[in-house]
Amino acid sequence: MTDVQTVPAGDVRTDTDESVSPDRPWLVIVWNDPINLMSFVTFVFQKLFGYSKEKATKLMMDVHVKGRAVVSSGTRDRAELDVYRLHEHGLWATMEQSG
Amino acid sequence: MSIVSMSMGCGPPWNSRDEDECVAGTGRLMSFTSPIRRRRDGRYAVRLPDQVRTLLGSLAEQMIPMIDSDDPAATRLFPPAYVGTDTSEAEQQYRELVDGALHSHHHHAVQVLTETVTADSLSPDELAGWLSAIGSMRLVIGTRLDISEDMVDPAPGDPSEPEHAVFHLLGVLQATIIDVLGAELPDDGEPASAL
Repeated sequence: MTDVQTVPAGDVRTDTDESVSPDRPWLVIVWNDPINLMSFVTFVFQKLFGYSKEKATKLMMDVHVKGRAVVSSGTRDRAELDVYRLHEHGLWATMEQSG
Repeated sequence: MSIVSMSMGCGPPWNSRDEDECVAGTGRLMSFTSPIRRRRDGRYAVRLPDQVRTLLGSLAEQMIPMIDSDDPAATRLFPPAYVGTDTSEAEQQYRELVDGALHSHHHHAVQVLTETVTADSLSPDELAGWLSAIGSMRLVIGTRLDISEDMVDPAPGDPSEPEHAVFHLLGVLQATIIDVLGAELPDDGEPASAL
């Protein structure tokens, strides 16, 4: 799970242009990866999103145990900004429109 | 994800009482007290042995050409924002939007580390640069080593042993910085964007 090509693709929405609705929020998803430290992932969630340590730790454990977690949501621009900030910190983040 | 493994053969570097040099000469690298501490003036005191600083400086130099390369390990620094089918156009737009800024971000962090690698103290921004640069180095080295969550340490004499030791040391340093910076975060912050 160290190659970009191996990002898990299950559950990913495959909206076509016709089905994209501006009303449905975009979800920012962080995927589990074997390199980033658990304490670092928790730290990043607290720092970027202002989450409490408890909430950040729960999200981190969701990522660790379930393989992925939704860490924020909003407009497409907002989600793209969050994904970028997570990428700055080396986390494996993607975005998809909620169903 | 992983926790910092203390099974490097000699335990955490600053707790090692072993007189022998540990893996790749990284034994007894740090003092018993935390090597990075917040000072009253808001700066951070850095107490690291010269050999650790030399290693960090060398790794930072190697990172500079790596960031812009198409080395498979370097691509880990630029993850995709969109996965799945019918997302190639969105992904291309995202790349065009952020790639310049993301390259600059990684270069800036490595440059900060290079310029301050011998410093006795760091500003908050400089320490953030260290955290980012060390994180990038771990991603590149960890990707190259094909690190997995339940990976055991290489056997003594394994050719990858020195690089594993460097990877481990970077993890210890990163965890140390997170301990310092994490303690300063408010514990009951309001989410910037609601779930």
